[in-house]
Amino acid sequence: MRRDRRSRRVALLAVLPMYLFTLAFVIGPLAYMLVLSFMRRSGAWGVEADFTLRNYLHIGEPVFLATFWQSLRLAFATTALVTLIGYPFGYFMARLTPKWRNRCMILLIVPFWTSSLMRLYGWMIVFRANGALDRLLMWAGLTDRPLKLLYTYPAVVVGMVYALVPFMIYSVYSSAEKLDMGLLEAARDLGAPRSHAFLTVALPLTMPGVGSGLVLTFIPSMGLYFIADILGGNKVVLVGTLIQEQLMKVHDWPFAAALSVVLMALTSLFLFVYRRATHSGELEGLV
Amino acid sequence: MKTQKKRNRGTAALLLLSLFLVAGCGGAPAADPTTAAAATTAAATTEAATEAAAESTTSSAAAATSAAASTTTAAAASATTTAATEAPASTAAASALADPALTGTQLNLYTWEGMFPQDILDGFTAETGIRINYVNFDYDETMLSKLETAQGGDYDLVIADDYIIETVIAEGLAQKLDTAKLKNYANIDPAYQKQFYDPNDEYTVPYGAGVQTIVYDPSAVGIEITGYADLWDPALANNLGLIGNFRVINGMALKVLGESYNTEDLGIIRAAGQKLLELAPNIRLIKDDQLEADLLSGEIGAGVMYTSQVFSAVVENPELRVVFPKEGIGFGVMAGFIPSKAPNAGAAYAFLDYILDAARGADCFLYLGYYSTNRAANEFIDVSLKDLLILPEGFNVNMEMIQNISDEATAEHDLVWTEFKTATGQN
Repeated sequence: MRRDRRSRRVALLAVLPMYLFTLAFVIGPLAYMLVLSFMRRSGAWGVEADFTLRNYLHIGEPVFLATFWQSLRLAFATTALVTLIGYPFGYFMARLTPKWRNRCMILLIVPFWTSSLMRLYGWMIVFRANGALDRLLMWAGLTDRPLKLLYTYPAVVVGMVYALVPFMIYSVYSSAEKLDMGLLEAARDLGAPRSHAFLTVALPLTMPGVGSGLVLTFIPSMGLYFIADILGGNKVVLVGTLIQEQLMKVHDWPFAAALSVVLMALTSLFLFVYRRATHSGELEGLV
Repeated sequence: MKTQKKRNRGTAALLLLSLFLVAGCGGAPAADPTTAAAATTAAATTEAATEAAAESTTSSAAAATSAAASTTTAAAASATTTAATEAPASTAAASALADPALTGTQLNLYTWEGMFPQDILDGFTAETGIRINYVNFDYDETMLSKLETAQGGDYDLVIADDYIIETVIAEGLAQKLDTAKLKNYANIDPAYQKQFYDPNDEYTVPYGAGVQTIVYDPSAVGIEITGYADLWDPALANNLGLIGNFRVINGMALKVLGESYNTEDLGIIRAAGQKLLELAPNIRLIKDDQLEADLLSGEIGAGVMYTSQVFSAVVENPELRVVFPKEGIGFGVMAGFIPSKAPNAGAAYAFLDYILDAARGADCFLYLGYYSTNRAANEFIDVSLKDLLILPEGFNVNMEMIQNISDEATAEHDLVWTEFKTATGQN
């Protein structure tokens, strides 16, 4: 009995730093942001502490709602494309021999050694007038003059997919790696055609991986506004763009805080719906 | 204007670096992945990326940065040497100002990065024995909050933008200048004095002016551009680049409607917004950094840009045409002031006097790429660059400065701006 209590106390002491850390660096800023979002801006840079709903009502302006819609659309499009590209990649990667699996994994990790912004500048070199892609198209005889590929919506989508596809690949891979091939063979033995065996056995068993891939793709894609800035020439206005502009240019911190709160609420809502729909308490690769 | 100079160089370094990486097939040394992650989240701004880049690939980054720096200033430097050799006489006088009491002290200079050529900074220390502690900020607002925290102390000399200086003076964070201590004070071009931020000319010394101008490539644009109204011409479809400053861009539409930049009438701002929506089909790109690179590479045929960008673009391609819009021009001034409790105000006076010298002033503006606010310096500026660094006589008849306006008007501008940007995305 006494020993038990003592070990509980030791355990509490051991986790205390984590609690304090969370309190100071997660709960604290969140609470600060929430409080800020109900304040009023004042002067060039400051805020005034009197309660107002103005910031939230202001989000109701059609143009700001359109921004949320734009962000959602881009996030969905990105997630769909990432799944289409990432799933087969991860699935077949898990089927490779261990030696090649490792090589693939290294190739996937290497790009992360460079800053993501520099990789985006690489895409600018690809997309710009008389850039790599333009030359290739002209060389192939598909076009006869430089195109305006950079600063367009498709360029933004390419950048988003490029930035996020590795996360889907990792998640699917970790699921597919655990897949017991015996089950697939059994299905085949019992007469299921290849496609049928995949759809009824392999796909459901790798769904947890897809699920965590979806979460890992969707949530960041709601916030990766700088890709739209750089590859979209600032013309694709996302919520992230708006928040950054409110902070750095308009200097309306309370409104920026309100936008962040709504964005976070929206993302949490999607996460909640996803969990409800899939009945999955845990996410493969995330926990 | 603000941080253009600095950011330009940052992005130039980034571009160069990415080129290195593409050419070298990813032979980049390993970086701490958390650095990259931090960059992803925090770094919408290029500065953060530059830092991350510098951290991750230290050796090549340093090389690239210095390479980029030297290319941007190369043109200016070559011009400077010719100007300097023409006029060795004027510098001799300044050495007399070396005050023995200040020798060995320190000047705490607070401004953006890259505001002075290294020669000027080194020269000052050599001549006066005053060390320079160069502290830089990214945004005027950062400077203001630091200065508020320090209650006007810590720094001896601050150089910042006009609108923020108005706030600094209103908050009592600047001290009145004793112009008798500045022998070269008379060199200042009076056209840049007594502006809204310092109407009685008591606190500030202007250091460079910027105007937003239209610059275009006649070979890529089918029409002649003389004012803002021409930018609405359908001939410019998907061919126009703008800086991302909402007061400047909304101000363009205000000017076309014959209104003031600083109107607080929400109806007029709204009307300007409607006018701006008609411009959307012509917009190819909106960005603050490196807009001139897109003009030089042909991504855009025309652009509305900051002075330093126009300067680098035209130095690179003299065929480009610079237009002072006939509807009137907007301009901003950067100015130096001494904080109210500056620990070493004497050093600040010495430095101000040092850069107000005619020949050294010319060196500074060539380096900076902003319009000269030093009348005596103008004759030291190379003939070929005079048009780019000296505003024409009488420019201030048809000009207006962008000032702080009410929160309501700012919010309306922001709304109009977001609507405009959203509309450009529908192209």
